[in-house]
Amino acid sequence: MKEFSMRREYAWRSIFIAALLPVFALTVVGQMVRIQNSPEAQSFRDQSDSFAIVERTFYPERGEIYDRDGHLLAGNETAYTVGVNISNMLDATALAREVSAQLGLDYEETYQKLLNPYGLVYVPLANYVSSEAIAPLKASYKKAAEDAAAEYQLSPLSGLEFQPTLQRHYPENELASNIIGFFNRDARGNFGVEEKYNNLLAGVPVKAWVPQDPNRAAEIPKVPNGATLILTIDRDLQAAAEHSLDQALFDYGARNGTIIIMHPRTGEILAMATTPRLNLNEFWNYGNFYNQSYEFNPAISMQYEPGSVFKALTMAAGLDTGAVTPDTTYNDVGYIVVGDVLIQNWDRRPWGLQNMIGCLQHSLNVCLAWVSTAMGQDNFYNYMQRFGFGRPTGIDLAGETPGRLKTPGDIDWYPVDLGTNAFGQGVAVSPIQMLMAVSAVANDGRMVTPHVLYGMVSDGRQVNIQLEPSGTPISMETAHTLSDMLSISLENEASLALVPGYRIAGKTGTAEIPVNGFYDNTQTNVSFIGWGPVDDPQFMIYVWLDRPSVSIWANDTAAPLFAEIAQKTVILLDIPPDSVRLQIAHP
Amino acid sequence: MINVTHLTHAYRQAPWRVQRQWAGAFLLGVLALAMISALYLDVTSQAAIIGREIQTLQYDTAEIQHENADMQTRLASLLSMKAMEARALALGFRPAEAGEIHYLVAPGYVRSTGVSLAVSRPQAGAPSTPPEYTQSLLDWISDYLQSPAGGIAGGVLP
Repeated sequence: MKEFSMRREYAWRSIFIAALLPVFALTVVGQMVRIQNSPEAQSFRDQSDSFAIVERTFYPERGEIYDRDGHLLAGNETAYTVGVNISNMLDATALAREVSAQLGLDYEETYQKLLNPYGLVYVPLANYVSSEAIAPLKASYKKAAEDAAAEYQLSPLSGLEFQPTLQRHYPENELASNIIGFFNRDARGNFGVEEKYNNLLAGVPVKAWVPQDPNRAAEIPKVPNGATLILTIDRDLQAAAEHSLDQALFDYGARNGTIIIMHPRTGEILAMATTPRLNLNEFWNYGNFYNQSYEFNPAISMQYEPGSVFKALTMAAGLDTGAVTPDTTYNDVGYIVVGDVLIQNWDRRPWGLQNMIGCLQHSLNVCLAWVSTAMGQDNFYNYMQRFGFGRPTGIDLAGETPGRLKTPGDIDWYPVDLGTNAFGQGVAVSPIQMLMAVSAVANDGRMVTPHVLYGMVSDGRQVNIQLEPSGTPISMETAHTLSDMLSISLENEASLALVPGYRIAGKTGTAEIPVNGFYDNTQTNVSFIGWGPVDDPQFMIYVWLDRPSVSIWANDTAAPLFAEIAQKTVILLDIPPDSVRLQIAHP
Repeated sequence: MINVTHLTHAYRQAPWRVQRQWAGAFLLGVLALAMISALYLDVTSQAAIIGREIQTLQYDTAEIQHENADMQTRLASLLSMKAMEARALALGFRPAEAGEIHYLVAPGYVRSTGVSLAVSRPQAGAPSTPPEYTQSLLDWISDYLQSPAGGIAGGVLP
């Protein structure tokens, strides 16, 4: 009986415990459910959601720039931002000492930044530190971490962080700087190709929500790099042109200069040398080199009075309209009156009876003013507009000037302008405009569009650029006739522009510079535009020098400089002498 | 009647047997729950590890891209015009003069028309990861229940 009573007692205890445990469990579960659904829980969930996924912008790697032979002109390199995460910082003194010593920073300033972060969680100490400069600091950081770990302690350099980023690098430094432009630290292309093709080079940034929770790994969106650009520039020819230009400035005492080499059939710019040139890796020195933005690339941005090289175009218009032929004669008495204003030759003397070749050979202002009046102002200005003056050529470089061509009807146009414009006075052009206009003479009457973009590579595919001609201002016959006339005139005067073995056509230009409204005959800009070989033009060169002091004449300065550049061009472009080329063509 | 009563007694479960069955069923439920929990833990921990590896690989990829860009630029600096010119001069070379160049006809020679930087194969895109590799068990159940074909209406499991 007693045993039975005890068993019943145990049974009740068991039932009680068995009942109590589920009640306890249910209470726990109920409490969990209550907490999970409380208003506080919702706020915690919201907080967690805001940290669980962050919106990140993935910036494409900026596209590279190559020359026509695949030499890298602009690429990217890693630079670091060095900073300290204050929440992980242990020893401000050690950090300030190490960072300032390795990166050449001021210790006290660095230390104060770390001591007084003004609420910042992350304090940047140095930006754009190169890989080479940061290597010793990284080594110190690693060694300190290893030493501390060996003693089961935290590193005194805890909190130091290195954030890598890509920055622009120009392996050739100053070479072709006027063409390339630069990419500044505001992530913006400035001047040249960097500005003109900024959107293509930059690519399209992609924004995406990225989970921080590793349990929710998501694909990082594929961000295509910016387009890679291949330029028409020939690096070796560019270097040769820059070297010759620098030497010419020294030899002739000129202030500045420009040399442009273009393929007259395609409009591809092979070289474009200007002075001064900026080391693109130190673009922040821009202000030390240039006062005005047009000085960065005067080949496209500077406008000036071209002088006698313009006579080639006046003659082209005269021939094309039929106003003159090569054999037309003109009795030069040393002056001509146009619009009641006396126009004289460059030497103020009469040259007597001349045919049109003689007019070009002796660069007679009076004769060319007569040609422009003979064809009439409508014809003359119509042709000058067809040659593209007064509007940009459309070259794919930032900052091109349209120049200025006054035409009848403009408030500042006078009848005398018809005479003076004929020999390049009273008209404002840029070197690239001159090159484009004269390309019609070299290229069978078709005027090319100058450009520097050869092709672009995007997503692994290369697309090469082919541009249509800008127009056909003169006929093929006129172009051939004028080429012959210019070539003969150079040969007749035994010009210093001649290149042994190659038949060259071209024209000099000496333009007095207007000072306070009057032309100063002691200050000139000199130029030469020429191309060759005449029967199959492969290069076209424009040379321009500002205020040469050794001689004010283009014949003594620009012409020999042209010959020097042309000599280098035929070597670097593998253009054989005419005799060899014709022998190969007609064995 | 007596026989029937005897038979009923003979086939009625003993009370301890019923209790044991209940306990067995309960333990079976606990075991199933434990198995599901273990499976869930295993899957989620593996997913977390893989996710962390993916994050690490993504950082590695970015670092390698930076290194590639660095090396390409460094190579270009070593092959720059000035550097190559200095090396050539140091080796005793000098620019050729016009009179020193001989042009020869090379049958079959075709002059290069320009550089080609196109790559022969398209750039590989990031592989598309099926949801089975990124979803947790709870995600999968949640998606299944929320999908129009799932839940009470039933349907084909994903």
